[in-house]
Amino acid sequence: MKIYAYGIIDSNPEEIVLPIPFKEGTNSGMDESLRELGEAPVYNIPYRDIAVIVSELNEEAKEITDTYILEHERIVERLMEGFTVLPMRFLTVFNTKKDLLSMAEFYYEDFKDNLARLHNKVEFGMKVIWPADTIKQRIVDVYHKTKHNPERIGLPDLLKEGPNVSISTESPAKTFVKEKFQEHIIEKEFQEEANRCIQVVDDYFNRIACEKKLKRLQTENLLLNSSYLVEKQRQNDFKQAFEQLKNTPGDLKFLFSGPWPCYNFVTLTKKPSSVDYFNTEDMLGRLLKTQDL
Amino acid sequence: MTMERIIETDSESAFIEEIEKVQDVLPKRIDANSKNVEKGLAKLVLTLVELIRKLLEKQAMRRIEGGSLSEEEIEGIGETLMKLENKMKELKEIFGLKDEELNLNLGPLGDLM
Amino acid sequence: MDRQIKTLQDKNSYLDFRKQERVTLLEILDRALDKGVVISGDIVISVADVDLVYLGLKVLLSSVETMERLRGAPMAGAQEEPT
Repeated sequence: MKIYAYGIIDSNPEEIVLPIPFKEGTNSGMDESLRELGEAPVYNIPYRDIAVIVSELNEEAKEITDTYILEHERIVERLMEGFTVLPMRFLTVFNTKKDLLSMAEFYYEDFKDNLARLHNKVEFGMKVIWPADTIKQRIVDVYHKTKHNPERIGLPDLLKEGPNVSISTESPAKTFVKEKFQEHIIEKEFQEEANRCIQVVDDYFNRIACEKKLKRLQTENLLLNSSYLVEKQRQNDFKQAFEQLKNTPGDLKFLFSGPWPCYNFVTLTKKPSSVDYFNTEDMLGRLLKTQDL
Repeated sequence: MTMERIIETDSESAFIEEIEKVQDVLPKRIDANSKNVEKGLAKLVLTLVELIRKLLEKQAMRRIEGGSLSEEEIEGIGETLMKLENKMKELKEIFGLKDEELNLNLGPLGDLM
Repeated sequence: MDRQIKTLQDKNSYLDFRKQERVTLLEILDRALDKGVVISGDIVISVADVDLVYLGLKVLLSSVETMERLRGAPMAGAQEEPT
């Protein structure tokens, strides 16, 4: 019987607000609405002063993947009502209880730190879309207008004029480099404009959020995908801030969501000791940072 | 304190479109057969070559922007970059790969290109 | 939340969701698929299909066995036995 894990809680008795406290290994003390995921009861496996919330998994549960993500989320959110929860990534499954307890032992300090840091806090998300093509077109228009301005004096004459394929004296290499250079300048300006917009938008929440995670330009149009960690008692301040932001005129479109379990703010410092562990992200991330892409 | 989750936007379609680009919402089934294995290898290799090529281009543009290069040098760079780009186009054709296929998703770091 | 849960395996099912539901689903996926407590290593196994095990890594090659052959070792998370 494999074990599916939903999250880690700080099972401090004073904090429990669900009608009946958890009892290990049984669902006799369980709040009915927490049954699910293949109809298996949800219960806690304690480890020292914390607990892992789990349910047993049917070996034949092939459908687990996408069908259950909503259930997973529902259970984690239900837990949030009574506890501080570190939500597990979807599809974290253990072969045996022993494996699960090893994991809890391995990450215990990390879990304790995160539980303390995330106590009484929730996550809000914001995504911002802008019309990348329109923004770039504006930049191109400005670029053509300012071709002969003093800033461009430093550039060789070759690049002051845009690419011109109709002139037969211009070699393909010249045309090529002019086009590439123009693209480069436009892209640079585009990135700077993105940073300016992000700064403005992010400022709305800086005073209210404890922590934030920003992902810029995941696609050309998806200007910003951000998550904010907010104290529960400041939720309304946060909502007010995005009401204001929502109404500002301009090219930006907004998507707000929350409160969520603090998915984006769980930080684990320990890495598995397995020699096999190869972190592609880490390595490529370091490579990209040196190139300043 | 009960917290009711809200998800609010007035542009659902636009967001669905962009977010779906970022996530592969629908699991893709990749068949394992020998033909695909080769293509998979070519993809991996060419993705990395593209990465290097684009880095080189970027570096070149920065140097040009810096203003310290002569016209001849700039044209020379153009020549080289052009050849590299054409070579990559050839290779993509040979392996039947499109630009979108040579992209690596680095999770939290976004896409490679 | 609506008790009828549709699977995403079939694209047509996914498109049946109203836009609001799709946005909700996308927002949940954005978080739960690779955020939260992310554990990797010998002790964690996923029962999902191969392509979903590597959802976060966006596998380029066509099968787990091929990747293992190239790397010379089993991938963390893919095997039941520790290396």
